[in-house]
Amino acid sequence: MTAGKTGRTGKPAGRVRLGLAGLLGFAALLELAPRAGVVPERYAPPTSRIVAALVEQAGEQRFWTALADTARTWATGLAIAVVAGVALGVLIGATPLLRAATASTIEFLRPIPSVALIPLVVVLYGATRSSTLVLVVYAAFWQVLVQVLHGVADIDPVARETALSYRLGRWARVRWLVWPTALPYAMTGVRLAASVALILTITGELVIGSPGLGREIAVAQTSGAVPQMYALVLVTGLVGVAANLVTRGAERRVLAWHPSVRAEVPV
Amino acid sequence: MRRNLTALLFVTALLSTAACGGSTTPAPSQPGQPDKVTVGVIPILDVAPIYLGEQQGFFSSRDIDLTLTPAQGGAAIVPAVVSGQYQFGFSNVISLLLAQSTGLPLKVVSNGNNSTGVDEDFAALMVKADSPITSPADLAGKTVAANTLKNIVETSVRASVRKAGGDAAAVRFTELPFPDQPAALEAGRVDAVFVVEPFQQAVLAQGGRKIASSYVDAAPNLAVALYFTSQQLIAANPDLVRRFTEAMKESLAYADSHPDEARAIIGTYTQIAPEVIAKLTLPKWPAEINRESVRTLADLATEDGLLTKPADVDALLP
Repeated sequence: MTAGKTGRTGKPAGRVRLGLAGLLGFAALLELAPRAGVVPERYAPPTSRIVAALVEQAGEQRFWTALADTARTWATGLAIAVVAGVALGVLIGATPLLRAATASTIEFLRPIPSVALIPLVVVLYGATRSSTLVLVVYAAFWQVLVQVLHGVADIDPVARETALSYRLGRWARVRWLVWPTALPYAMTGVRLAASVALILTITGELVIGSPGLGREIAVAQTSGAVPQMYALVLVTGLVGVAANLVTRGAERRVLAWHPSVRAEVPV
Repeated sequence: MRRNLTALLFVTALLSTAACGGSTTPAPSQPGQPDKVTVGVIPILDVAPIYLGEQQGFFSSRDIDLTLTPAQGGAAIVPAVVSGQYQFGFSNVISLLLAQSTGLPLKVVSNGNNSTGVDEDFAALMVKADSPITSPADLAGKTVAANTLKNIVETSVRASVRKAGGDAAAVRFTELPFPDQPAALEAGRVDAVFVVEPFQQAVLAQGGRKIASSYVDAAPNLAVALYFTSQQLIAANPDLVRRFTEAMKESLAYADSHPDEARAIIGTYTQIAPEVIAKLTLPKWPAEINRESVRTLADLATEDGLLTKPADVDALLP
């Protein structure tokens, strides 16, 4: 609110420039620290060597295959989690009996860290994409479900009474009452789930060895190829930024009518 | 009751969403169709022969459609082979002896790799340049980094200490993955490391010294790792297992006699820098298993308390 549209950093171009300056400063710091001997160069190579290793990797087919594998696991896992989370969230949230019956179970299952399931999924599915997908779905699902449950509970009582007075049917109530109320919550859930899904995708690949960037990081590490390893780590960061941009773009589009978006200053 | 049921259904539903493909019961070969075989390997130089054999067509000529899946270690490979996700796997001898002692239905089908048998080996016990330690006997009371505790590294390092006349029981081990060991040694966080290639080259490059070749000290021409399968697959498709063993023998012999091609293939499945690959000491890849060395390792593991009862080596080996 305070910076507003007229503030010094308010203009989109100005913000982007500041953001880039911050990034470049960080890169320069990582370039200088090993060169000045603050950290050993052998194990913390300067930025320029990491970027050179990245350029080299970008010329190899196996890098793009790994990137595509990671993107596919992430998108599939997120899609399953969102569909299941929204469907079950609306169903459970709109049925008081179901909500009371599942509340404690959800609170019990939700805090189980997905990575704790690794031994289980390895035995069930081996070092396959399915293993990683289970972790991704499990972690991302709760983010969406809990948000949708909160959203459904947030329905304005007056709106609900009105809907009942007008004798809206079950489906009409879901469409015109529950959905618009829960949607902003659900979108927040999707945004949270997108980051969590990416974390679990990379973790699964790294630890279980299913195909993707995580496994390439593990191979580079096992090979003592330090700059290559950091280059891949850098790529996972870029994938995270891209994932965030996509979900925020989707949020803005879906919630264009909502006050929170209408008031928001474009980045 | 109802809550429990909901929870159960829920987890089942979640798990089944990801249950696409992957039959767990070994199927008999289809006539005229190559067998699809997945092998769990560790992306290190030890497994160069199977990559080379795949490239040379030793598997396809025996109707084996080979998929090599790199895994982080034996801990991920053994359960996947037992559950039928992989048909074959690669693991070190001690891990296999330990798995067998817990009753897992495993059977070795082929040799993996051996120590060179001479002082210049692909694995070494190493110390810092300025370390006062000159012999494994000096390691009593000191800390040695091992990639996995209670495994082949402990057994081999203790064998070196014993051979040098030191107190093997007084060596302390701390768990540290191979890639982290050179840095830990340089920073003085451990007194010695036991590393395999390419990390032997990394320690040498930072001025480290080798004080023993522990795999060589443990047994003459020690078999370090082996390829194995599950008893279920042997029962369901003995012909496939026979063909895999033949293909492996040809691959091992080929790799052992063509070290330059082995070095070239290592560059394809690892990220080891080309200049390092040229310097690596390669393991030996004999086609036959050195049974005597497996027995020696089993005895050492029993002596060190890794195995609580003597292993049935003949039941594990083919």
